[in-house]
Amino acid sequence: MLFGIPITGETVSFFLLALIIIVSGVMLLTLDKVMHMALALGGVFLGVAGIFILLGSDFLGMVQILIYAGAITILMVFALMLTQKGDDTSSPPTSGVRAIFTLLGVVVFAVTVLLVIRSTSWPVNRPAVEPFAKPTVTLIANAMFHTYTVPFELVSLILTAALVGAVVIAKKED
Amino acid sequence: MFNWQLHPLTGLNFLGMIISGVIVLLVTLLVVMYTIYFERKVIGWMQLRIGPNRVGPLGLLQSAADVLKLLIKEDIVPAKSDKVLFLVAPVIAFVPSFAVLAVIPFTATHLFTAGLNVGVLYYIALSSITILGIVMGGWASNNKYSLIGGMRSAAQMISYEIPLGMSILGVIMISGSLNLNVIVAHQADHMWNIIPQIIGFVVFIIAGIAELNRTPFDLPEAESELVAGYFTEYTGFRFAFFMLSEYVYVFAISSLATTLFLGGWSGPFLPSWLWFAIKVSACIFFLFWVRATMPRIRGDQLMGFAWKVLIPLALFNIVLTGALSLVA
Repeated sequence: MLFGIPITGETVSFFLLALIIIVSGVMLLTLDKVMHMALALGGVFLGVAGIFILLGSDFLGMVQILIYAGAITILMVFALMLTQKGDDTSSPPTSGVRAIFTLLGVVVFAVTVLLVIRSTSWPVNRPAVEPFAKPTVTLIANAMFHTYTVPFELVSLILTAALVGAVVIAKKED
Repeated sequence: MFNWQLHPLTGLNFLGMIISGVIVLLVTLLVVMYTIYFERKVIGWMQLRIGPNRVGPLGLLQSAADVLKLLIKEDIVPAKSDKVLFLVAPVIAFVPSFAVLAVIPFTATHLFTAGLNVGVLYYIALSSITILGIVMGGWASNNKYSLIGGMRSAAQMISYEIPLGMSILGVIMISGSLNLNVIVAHQADHMWNIIPQIIGFVVFIIAGIAELNRTPFDLPEAESELVAGYFTEYTGFRFAFFMLSEYVYVFAISSLATTLFLGGWSGPFLPSWLWFAIKVSACIFFLFWVRATMPRIRGDQLMGFAWKVLIPLALFNIVLTGALSLVA
């Protein structure tokens, strides 16, 4: 027990993942070069995927890695490589007045959040959440292809239309 | 035999997992060393040359000498490069290439295998992160050849990832699981997936070679136009890391092809690990054979081939598999 939290594999991995997400998030906001920010964003996505897997939804975690950490990050990097020219580190100098107001805003926000957290009544001693009855792949497949077949097909139709529309718009500009 | 997949996670089991991870790493390094040796030997024989034969008996220590040479070389970081990204890119490229081996069932006892319910997806998802390392390395080098090589590899690997994933779908539909252990067990009971899934297998092999950036799809590192592609500026052990991740992927994709289509560790008489080794060696030999035989294809043909030939073929395979499973 440490600060009232039992030390198990789950808590250790949760705090490690949380640390990864927060550190990557802060780096995403503070780094100078856009390319470094894209890499930090990849770190955030990976950490979130880890949280998904920790919660038992391994399929969602893997799809998160495949789509976000893999495809979206690379797409962003690709776009940056094609559009960025030379040095992009120049950030506008911050004035003293602005820094003071920023500090004020952060303090007010932190105090508000702290007060809200303290005044909320959190459920204690809830029974442990049951693990999924079947593999999550089976559950998701049943939901998509049995329960919600029509909405699923409609969504795929919309996505196809968006894809074709994007191609048409891109062709028009040539 | 002891089986990781049936035991809870305790401290001792965790230690065992780390030890088996290290064993897999060492075995992989050995496999990579002799993959490189056999690549040079096999291509040498195919081109009526002898291949490496000076270091050690029959040149067996040639790869070890090459690795030693790379490790003691000076580590040069170009002055105008993006230092942090330049240093971290080989690591981003290598880590997923080794991590994907966690789900490969090497033996029937699953001694080193994670029984992941989404094993196939895990492989596809992690291998896509390597592209990030390659693109980052190409961009951070601040060199036009590296940049073009990195961009080509990003475009190529993203395009060919789609037919690769789709070609596996047929196997998943037959086996009814994403778990690689279940897929192998299903093949041991019925027949190798290569027979009902021959279209999927062909698409898988072609897309797999393209994912590996190997000849005839080695445009990202085409030496006649791009010097060395995305690792032009890399030297010493960082260059070795890029090469290592490439050859670990050769091993990994051969293992995946064996697992998905060639029945994995299943086979009569011989022990399971030996069957696995034989089938993986056959796959790796096929990759070398293709490399020695085929010329490099053009960039415009490359993209058209993925989008106009492979993806429709893979889609057709999925529909065919679904129809056949309805009939049977």
